[in-house]
Amino acid sequence: MMRLTKVELRRLFSRHLSSMALLGALIVSGLVLLSAFDQAKPMSDQALAFQRTQFEEVQKDWAANGAQRIRDCEQSQAQVRKQHPKTELHCNQLKPRWENWGKQKVEFSNLMRSSLLGWSYLMAFICLLLGASFVAAEFASGSMGNWLTFEPRRVRVYFSKLVAAGLGVIPGVLALLGLLFVSIWIMCIRYGSTSGISSKMWTDLTWMSIRSLTFAVVASVVGAAMGALLRSTAAVMGIALGYLVIIEVVFRRVLQGAQPWMLQLNMEGWLQHGTKYFINKCTTDNQGMYSCFGVEKALTFGHSSMYLGALVVLAVTLSAKVFQSRDVN
Amino acid sequence: MTTSISEFAISTRGLRKTYRNRKGRHVAVAGLDLDVPIGGVHGFLGPNGSGKTTSIRMLLGLTRADAGTMSIFGHAVPKHLPEVVSRVGAIVESPKFSPTFSGRKNLQLLADAIGCPRGIVDQVLEQTSLNERGKDKYRTYSLGMKQRLAIAATLLKDPDLLIFDEPTNGLDPAGIREIRNTMRALSEQGKTVLVSSHILSEVEHVADTVSIIGHGILLASGRVSDVIGNQIATSVRVGVADLVTAHRILVDAGILVRQDGGLLVVDGIADGAEITKRLAAHDLFVNELTPVRADLESVFLQLTADEGLESSGGAK
Repeated sequence: MMRLTKVELRRLFSRHLSSMALLGALIVSGLVLLSAFDQAKPMSDQALAFQRTQFEEVQKDWAANGAQRIRDCEQSQAQVRKQHPKTELHCNQLKPRWENWGKQKVEFSNLMRSSLLGWSYLMAFICLLLGASFVAAEFASGSMGNWLTFEPRRVRVYFSKLVAAGLGVIPGVLALLGLLFVSIWIMCIRYGSTSGISSKMWTDLTWMSIRSLTFAVVASVVGAAMGALLRSTAAVMGIALGYLVIIEVVFRRVLQGAQPWMLQLNMEGWLQHGTKYFINKCTTDNQGMYSCFGVEKALTFGHSSMYLGALVVLAVTLSAKVFQSRDVN
Repeated sequence: MTTSISEFAISTRGLRKTYRNRKGRHVAVAGLDLDVPIGGVHGFLGPNGSGKTTSIRMLLGLTRADAGTMSIFGHAVPKHLPEVVSRVGAIVESPKFSPTFSGRKNLQLLADAIGCPRGIVDQVLEQTSLNERGKDKYRTYSLGMKQRLAIAATLLKDPDLLIFDEPTNGLDPAGIREIRNTMRALSEQGKTVLVSSHILSEVEHVADTVSIIGHGILLASGRVSDVIGNQIATSVRVGVADLVTAHRILVDAGILVRQDGGLLVVDGIADGAEITKRLAAHDLFVNELTPVRADLESVFLQLTADEGLESSGGAK
């Protein structure tokens, strides 16, 4: 098994597509960094002057109508609280403040967390495709049959490929993670703030990075398992994109209550060590007024871990069973 | 006669495989009993779709058999295939390797997977005259080179049994001769070679023994000369100036004869001397006397007729 895994790792690193995937991951990381830079960089003098003019206009308007606005807000709040006593419309925050108009200095931990979250999804998708292609290409070229005439123990062959697919992405993902950390750190030294990062923040960021790395590794393993199951990279890609469009976009809007059982939210729950989601609650009061409120719900890290873990085990086991028993042409 | 199963390199009993698809069921192998003796080249002959490749796939564990037993060197397969796989080298249908890797890289990965000693790759590349193109990508190889690379891959294990499935498909005459020579050379080294083909002449040229398969069952098996030479009546093509008279003389003598263009074809006779003797007695002298060799189609038709099988369609 060790020998087979080493050979599979060599095969993975020798593939042209692995180099292409690394290049793609580098480009994706570059785009994430570009977006982070856009958030971190200070406003230009021209943009700042425009914002200042706008703010002064709003201040004039507030001087004339601010008191009325607060009264209207408090009235609305009182009305809503008859039905929903805990509702808070934050009427005391209506007054325009310059800090809300200008651009605040970005904090390293905030910028890193938001960048890492988006980056993790994109890395996982690249790793999924890399893993799928790693196995499916062997079926496409017919070399899987040839391979099995040298090593007919299919379970060993299958798991050596999955282990190689998982281990093989670690160096690349680690290197890019390092690049992300260093680049965002430099951005925050230059334009934002790196002070005041508590040890808890560092611990949280470290754990989030570890979870992000694990996420990419598991995506590659699942990709390889899907590749073995479907024997076509295009089919794996089609299923991934089909799921994204049909379930995450369409189905999610229709059945909001099913959100805890959807992949994207659980991935977010895993990456962020728990997350929150909203369910719309709509009511009609005694006066026939129809109103909707977003009710916040929590999705725990434990739930996400269990759910995703169960799906991974299911995919790997099902694929192993099929790989073991299905004819190889 | 009862024999130990290990006297054979390959032995199958009652091997069956049925494929199911949207169009229904297709019986590819319908109870094949096959024995391949140890040593020499054994031809595995049958028309396209007769079940040769499926049988080989089942032996190699690539396709699951529905019923029957198989053994390689006395080891029941596929259960004990891992114990005997190091003694078996096989090319199933066309050679299949990773197209973007070089020939050497493809071989090196296979060699590393089975723990071959260092240097074996160079050795087999040399053996198959591929050492100069070893670093080139597999996809740039000609069909003949691909076939040679596949043979090189089988030699990595230094196997006792080599299985070549239609090895000369698509090759030019020089390539075909090269593959034949390779098979003979391997056989002379004491290895058993099983070569499947749908071309009778290919097997005749190289094989010592042969098994003929049709509709997924064994039709005949034995030495090539016994199976192909004696079981099938041969024909002789006769050229003579006066076709009409010659035809009448031969028919009167009770010989099966038919006209084919400007020649007569005498069926069911192997010896041309009988024809020349009868015609010469009437002052008719032959200007052409060519034995017509039985092709696989006729051998197959004869054998299926003997077995009482229909000659068209798959086995049911």
